[in-house]
Amino acid sequence: MTAPPTTPRGLHVDIEARAGDFLLHTSFEAGDELVVLYGHSGAGKTLTLSTIAGLTRPHRGRIDLAGRTLFDATSGVDLPPRDRRVGYVVQVPALFPHLDVRRNVLIGVERSPEAQARFEALSALLGIEDLAARRPHELSGGQQQRVALARALVRPTDVLLLDEPFSALDESLRADLRSELLRIRREYGVPIVFVTHDLREAHLLADRVAVLDRGRVLQFAPRDEVFRHPASRRVAALTGTHNLFEGHIEGDRVLVAGLPLRFEGASSPGGDVDVAIRAERCNLRRFDPEGDLPENCFVASITAELAFGNTHTLTLEPEGPGPAIEVEVASRPYEVLGIRERRRWVVELPAADLHVMPRMPVEPPAGL
Amino acid sequence: MHASRSTRSSPPWLSLSLLFVLFFALPLVGLVWRASTDGDVAEALTATRTVEALRLSLFTATLTTALAVVLGTPLAYLLATRESAASRLLATLLELPLVLPPAVAGIALLTAFGRAGILGDPLEAAGVSLSFTTAAVVMAQLFVAAPYYLRAAYGGFASTDPRYEAVAATLGLSPWRVFRDVALPLARPALVGGLILCWARALGELGATLLFAGSLPGRTQTMPLAIISAFESSDGLAGAVSIAVVLLAFAAVLLVALNWLARARGPYG
Repeated sequence: MTAPPTTPRGLHVDIEARAGDFLLHTSFEAGDELVVLYGHSGAGKTLTLSTIAGLTRPHRGRIDLAGRTLFDATSGVDLPPRDRRVGYVVQVPALFPHLDVRRNVLIGVERSPEAQARFEALSALLGIEDLAARRPHELSGGQQQRVALARALVRPTDVLLLDEPFSALDESLRADLRSELLRIRREYGVPIVFVTHDLREAHLLADRVAVLDRGRVLQFAPRDEVFRHPASRRVAALTGTHNLFEGHIEGDRVLVAGLPLRFEGASSPGGDVDVAIRAERCNLRRFDPEGDLPENCFVASITAELAFGNTHTLTLEPEGPGPAIEVEVASRPYEVLGIRERRRWVVELPAADLHVMPRMPVEPPAGL
Repeated sequence: MHASRSTRSSPPWLSLSLLFVLFFALPLVGLVWRASTDGDVAEALTATRTVEALRLSLFTATLTTALAVVLGTPLAYLLATRESAASRLLATLLELPLVLPPAVAGIALLTAFGRAGILGDPLEAAGVSLSFTTAAVVMAQLFVAAPYYLRAAYGGFASTDPRYEAVAATLGLSPWRVFRDVALPLARPALVGGLILCWARALGELGATLLFAGSLPGRTQTMPLAIISAFESSDGLAGAVSIAVVLLAFAAVLLVALNWLARARGPYG
């Protein structure tokens, strides 16, 4: 599918693997960056990491890392996990309960002054200096995961594979560890493949995102590209866009629920399309009975409202042509505009934020 | 308030539990009582036959357990980590001796290793005769008792989170070191439990040993066989209780010691 990698650095994955009835077909790469594998549970994220680590054998394809071939079905290359130079951290810290922190971190390393120095440096970097003699059960969840990170980094590592490493932690701890991870990335300059089903985490950490669904990569692109210009209705839905409409191209406009809307970007092939706009990209304006409605605007009334602390999610029903729509408003504009008091608003769908995609079948076939 | 307190202080299962404990305690008390009135423990302890039987029992049961651990641990690990229809079938097959009457086990061993058995002629040609040898005692015990260890070890390895071993493999550990430094210590509590069961079962083995190895004093007559032999002699129950009490004492001491060892350093000592 892809040509053999031309750049020696980084990770290149293009494989097919089977686990029972599940068929995985992934293809992506990671240079000196953090790539997020994003998808619901069961999408094939963990299986992908497991093939890179050498714990699951693909039946087809090829994996290259830092100029070395880890796996190649054609030539029969299949390096054992211990020779792959991957650091692997799983959701549960999986620290060996019978060993103290130092022995956990250094279990795979020859005893040497260099190893000791590396252990000290990593301990300092991760803030676990005082824990060297502790057993895992004496550590908090956050400390355990820090030790697991140190363990994954203590050997020469060409890629760091992180399988939802923070999902078992409290939100505040998670925030700490995420910024720590970004620091480690700067310090070590090692490619990171990070698996998560948490949209905010994906957005915060990713340089590039591979959206996985039912064993397939639906889109692999820089983060903002994936979030702003999803490749399909399915990607849009997976990445948290609730405003998804069926549209029809007429001239240079797209017709959504009877309302012609201007949009930017590549002009669509014409005919039936899917249209997406993120809730936080929609604007609300005061309704002026005297004035004309500007472009891409329609009158709607708030029918439901959810407060999330710093944002409000409003559901609006159109009075005339136009779609029923979800609008997210930050607390401050919510108060300034006085949204609590008024129910009738003008909804603006900015042309730059209106994303038009080729029409996708409502229920994608399983083998897609 | 009063009602709930009274039900808590005398739940119906308390008396049931007490009855059940009595069921176990009474025969033990009876044994000690009869031995102190009827029997002659001091004489039994010094009689050559008893001493020989006791030594043979401790030796064979310990050797059996050692063999079960050395041969059974890798097998259990393989079966638990290479999940397949074949491995599940094999695991079931190896547990079969648990439900088999020991007499059947003894006959089965004769049909395989006895003089008229499958390996009878080759063994005879090689000049090996197992009948009435201590080796036959160990084989009988191994056949009957090792499955207790295998089952416990299999459970121990199978219930370990496979992610420990997955992570260990990525940390540069060879398969042997993954086994020795990760899988083995994690399964240790299960292994020790299985070891105790195996040893206890081997110590009590009677039926298979009698049929396969016979009851030759000094060579194949273990404690249980000596007790049967004493019971059937002119001394009857009086002779048997003395030896039985000796076996009981040794078993109790060793069980306590093993349990203490298993607990002493915590599950991951």
